[in-house]
Amino acid sequence: MSHLFSYDFRYDDNVYETETSLKQVEVEENIGRIYYKLVDPSTLVNGGEIDDSGHRLLRSKHEQFVRDAIHGLSSGFAVLDASQPWLAFWSLNSLDIMGCDIDLQLRRRAVETVRRFQAENGGFCGGSRQLPHMAGSFAAIMTLVLVGDDEAYKVIDREAMYRWMMTMKQPDGSFAMHAGGEVDVRGIYCAMVVASLLNIMTPELIANSADFISQCQTCEGGIGPYPGVEAHGGYTMCGLAALEILGKTDVLDLGRLARWMSSRQLAFEGGFSGRTNKLVDGCYSYWVGGAFAILQKALKRTQSDGYLYDRAALQRYVLACCQDGRMGGLRDKPGKSSDLYHTLYCLSGLSLSQHYMGVNPDELINDNTSVYSVPARMMQWDAIPMGTEILGLRSNILKPVHPVYGVSLVPLAKCIKYFYSLPPLVASL
Amino acid sequence: MRIESSESVSESVPLSQQEEWKDVTPIPQDDGKHPICPIAYTDEYREIMDYLRAVMAKEEISERALTLTGRVIQTNPGHYTAWMYRKRLVEELNADIAGELDWVSDISAMYPKNYQLWHHREALVVRLLDPKQATEEQSEAELLRHPVIRRELQFLDSALNEDSKNFHAWLYRQWLVRTYNIWEQELIFVNTMINEDVRNNSAWNQRYFVHLQGRNPTQVELDSELVSDEIVYAVENIKLAPNNESPWTYIVGLLLRHAPAKLYTELLPKIQELANDKDYSLAMTTTPFYWSALVDIYEKQARASPEQGKALIEQAQSICHSLATEHDPMHGKYWEFRNKSLSELQL
Repeated sequence: MSHLFSYDFRYDDNVYETETSLKQVEVEENIGRIYYKLVDPSTLVNGGEIDDSGHRLLRSKHEQFVRDAIHGLSSGFAVLDASQPWLAFWSLNSLDIMGCDIDLQLRRRAVETVRRFQAENGGFCGGSRQLPHMAGSFAAIMTLVLVGDDEAYKVIDREAMYRWMMTMKQPDGSFAMHAGGEVDVRGIYCAMVVASLLNIMTPELIANSADFISQCQTCEGGIGPYPGVEAHGGYTMCGLAALEILGKTDVLDLGRLARWMSSRQLAFEGGFSGRTNKLVDGCYSYWVGGAFAILQKALKRTQSDGYLYDRAALQRYVLACCQDGRMGGLRDKPGKSSDLYHTLYCLSGLSLSQHYMGVNPDELINDNTSVYSVPARMMQWDAIPMGTEILGLRSNILKPVHPVYGVSLVPLAKCIKYFYSLPPLVASL
Repeated sequence: MRIESSESVSESVPLSQQEEWKDVTPIPQDDGKHPICPIAYTDEYREIMDYLRAVMAKEEISERALTLTGRVIQTNPGHYTAWMYRKRLVEELNADIAGELDWVSDISAMYPKNYQLWHHREALVVRLLDPKQATEEQSEAELLRHPVIRRELQFLDSALNEDSKNFHAWLYRQWLVRTYNIWEQELIFVNTMINEDVRNNSAWNQRYFVHLQGRNPTQVELDSELVSDEIVYAVENIKLAPNNESPWTYIVGLLLRHAPAKLYTELLPKIQELANDKDYSLAMTTTPFYWSALVDIYEKQARASPEQGKALIEQAQSICHSLATEHDPMHGKYWEFRNKSLSELQL
């Protein structure tokens, strides 16, 4: 069971203050004030009918926060004008993970919104008449996956998508985020997700990509955006998930990776930081916390072995520190405002810590070498019964999320079924 | 052509009322009937975007288009399409690149976490100073005195002064150092940053980057003397604050990759000496990072010397056990995993 919060595990600065330690101590003071008031949650794991301990998921508040955003955003959001597919994805996915209704009208609106982001020559843009972008394509396609019907899938011109992605591909295996844009591990993740869902994975598309990711693993153990650059939670999830699609997690030093990921869980807060000696942030509940499911499979560990992090402590951080009880939505840490990005990644991190997402060892497909094994391998992932660990009331439970794709399983299976019943793209593309 | 840092076109008068823009028909944003998450743009933002779409649609290369991209980017620096168009305009109008760099610096001061501006900078710097030619014709010392490089280093100083862990700034710094082969001064810079905050992990990462000089880590042999010096350096910094993960993860990570034997021949005696020194023993023996390093060290040592192997593995296992149960229970699951892996180790 979880390690319970104790003042013993506050940061020891060895009476040697630097900017880093001062900031860390300040955050712990804020969080300590919250934890101090909480009832010991250990009695609440997987049980209880009432919860006044401060570990209740404020579902209706978060739903309202997201629905308000879907209705419209204030002028300040113009800074996300080139991230419009992300606004759609963050909102719809948050609703889906909470099990909220996404009615037909909303689904049609989402399809019409995303349709306008598609570029003539393939790929989706950050907004209409912008340039096609890898991350925008990921978010747009995942939004259509969440809508989950033929009309949504038919929006995607997958041949054009393939051709465009090939123009982003670099000889070293990486991808540019857009024409003339920056090159890093995010591009590989977006390309692998898109290609594996749309049945357009070819040997040309994936050539050298696993090798590029392995070069981004630093001597600390985590993965950075580019060879030589500091290990970071977001890029670690992108790199590890891309390798899982490729069936090549073994190119990494998994022992070192496990140590680095484990170390990102902060001893007092229970939440994760994105880099060594940086502060806790709710979004890493997903970027680092969620990656433990993939690590677990890579290490050939099973549900009875347990995840390599403290699940209840993470849930405690998200529930007690990241919920904005006044405005709704979830946030980085106490004192920050909630936003759509943190709402989604706090929720998906919470879900991935509640459920044990894994692969039944009896059904494990060992054919990692062929791109044809990808859909079958990806659909092996499931919530393992007996693996659930819920802090607070059972009603806190969220839908299980696929650790590689970050969305729930039913729409994912439907999408894979649709695109893998289409004829494969011809080699001449 | 000069790039004005303060925009020459009045920002208060709408473009639709300006003589200069009379010939352009703005293209409104097409969001359909009921888009989800629509942004309530201000009238000003909506108008400059409508005109941007119009000039981009006809691929206009003009000074007014350049000014317009500036207004868009100042309002929304994440607009990568506007940046790409601006890049092309700067090139084709033969705009003053130094002025453009100053302009980007101003944007950076307002939006330090933006991705695009760093990438834009790279392209500008390469145009001012061709990397291939520069590295062939000039020595490192000459390059460091070169006004283009000096400006970039000064710019990075101010960005890292503002936020010493700015991820984009470090990424850009690596690009600059790698592209112009200016490795020698970099270690001095890293030392300064570590002296300012010994917990700045970005600086420790840069230290490893400097030693590898951009080479693939799996194919590099580091000079033995250099590795020994690094052990001394890391331990000196561990002394300042033993409960600081950065020097530990740096030195153990470096040795595991490049000189595993030095883990037990050189690092081990140094940290044990500290743990036995009354001035440091409390701090050393209460930080999980010391114990964690011992586990890594004993594991390597056991593999190398099978005769003591069993005893070393047992020691490492007992450390894992006390970390899991007592000293570091938040990472208990990880320590149990290490413990189990050690028990399965074939010596």
